[in-house]
Amino acid sequence: MMKKSVKKKSLKFIGLFFTVLSYLLIFTPIVVIFILSVNASTKGYSWEGFTLKWYVELFENDVMNEPIMNTLLVAVSSTVIATVLGTAFAIGINALEKKRRVQMMVINNVPVVNPDIVTGISLMIVFSLLSFTLGYYTVLIAHVFFSIPYVILSVMPRLKKLDPNLYEAGLDLGCSRISGVFKVIIPNISTGILSGALMAFTMSIDDFIITYFTSGAEYMNVSTWLYATLSRGRSFTPAAYAYNIIIFTITIAIILFVNLKRDRKEKTV
Amino acid sequence: MRRLRPYAIPYLLWMGIFILIPTIILIILGFSNLELYNLGVFDLTLVNFRIFIQDQVINALLNSLIYSVITTVICFIIGYPVAYYLSTLPEKKRKILLAMMIVPLWSNMLLRIIAWEKIFQPTSIINDLFGISIDLLGTPTGVLIGMIAMYLPFMIFPIFSVLEKMDYKLIEAAKDLGASDYQTFIKVTFPLSSGGVVSGVIMTMLPAMTSFVLPARIGLGKINLIGNIIESKFMKEVLGSSGASINQGALISLLLMIFSVISFVLITRVDKEGETLI
Repeated sequence: MMKKSVKKKSLKFIGLFFTVLSYLLIFTPIVVIFILSVNASTKGYSWEGFTLKWYVELFENDVMNEPIMNTLLVAVSSTVIATVLGTAFAIGINALEKKRRVQMMVINNVPVVNPDIVTGISLMIVFSLLSFTLGYYTVLIAHVFFSIPYVILSVMPRLKKLDPNLYEAGLDLGCSRISGVFKVIIPNISTGILSGALMAFTMSIDDFIITYFTSGAEYMNVSTWLYATLSRGRSFTPAAYAYNIIIFTITIAIILFVNLKRDRKEKTV
Repeated sequence: MRRLRPYAIPYLLWMGIFILIPTIILIILGFSNLELYNLGVFDLTLVNFRIFIQDQVINALLNSLIYSVITTVICFIIGYPVAYYLSTLPEKKRKILLAMMIVPLWSNMLLRIIAWEKIFQPTSIINDLFGISIDLLGTPTGVLIGMIAMYLPFMIFPIFSVLEKMDYKLIEAAKDLGASDYQTFIKVTFPLSSGGVVSGVIMTMLPAMTSFVLPARIGLGKINLIGNIIESKFMKEVLGSSGASINQGALISLLLMIFSVISFVLITRVDKEGETLI
């Protein structure tokens, strides 16, 4: 008995130890980014006192303005498009017979499993075949492309739980095919749609690799701008760290808000 | 619901355009002298295979394999106990800890890599603030730590999601039938979580194998992976610099796609509908 409980304790200790180690590894860069965002030094090799000037500079610095606007514009528009298309596709896929549905979900997983670099190259090839000029529109299409599978993956479980008879009942009660979707299906899968949209947004705003391969030399988002600056052997303004902390905080706030609201809703239902 | 089936058709078309067509083009590019920006007549040739006798490329291939395998193994050794530990916690604690693991992923990947770059400098902000000097820039250890920190969550999430959904009655049944903790784990818990392990291994290994910014920054360009070669062959073509060869790049990408396809077949076996992927 004694031996067993000691063994169990040591197992638990290993779990706890690795858990602490993991959080340490995962959080270290975030903490460093935060420190650099409030550090008065431009180069970031030493601590030169607390400052919020980089947060102010973020709104005054013209260099970062364009990449930030590009990032936000692509994130918002690709999220909207991917959420609408992904939801429609998911509804269609869910309506298929089981074998076809599984086949479609397997296809859906291709961009999820594929390394970003392969997805980036593939998209670049298609754009050059269509002789599209690389820039805002190609990046937008690319972001819609990699976001849709995640929207479908988060909408699907909700759709599966939905009783198909509900939709038929809606049709019997006089809904058209489209209005039935809006009145019966969408309200029942709204939480899945929302989490899909959040996922699409967070992935678009931080994307580097796929944007890098589909944006050409002129158009830049924050990530590709950072990379281009570093590749030229220059250093960038610490306002970039401030930008990251702001985006990071806003994302956490949105997700926290959505989750709290959902929990409350589920409690009252 | 049958009437809604047509909604799925455009998706098939969309995936055909962005997955099937570029794959075919990549194959043609790899085995010919076709020019991407000057489509037209091309000759089939094996001349692009010459790239595989270049030392630089052989090194990159070996590096990719070594770094991704080591990263994956260490992520598994750390990640499985973490996923297991998290899954045993009471619901509230579990939710908070899991959320805390997702949150850092919302921070820009490039800046996280730059943060490691700053940490690994001998005279760094960490040195100034905490008196710890870590001189790992340009070393394999530095690159590995960066990779493990970057991809560890992708090992933990799928394993956790399988363990969380597992039916604990099975474990109780095993114990009632006289199995020891160790036997229960080896014969019941671990096999039931194998789907999550397969997803976790793939979601860690493929990104690690293909990463190119991380080895370039933390490895100071001394440690090249396959991603760095692909980048130089493809992007320089787009940006119009010298040393580019999209045909050679295509051939290396095809090699990478073989890994992708193997992973894909494995994932499809354990998780057809991709439930462990998000």
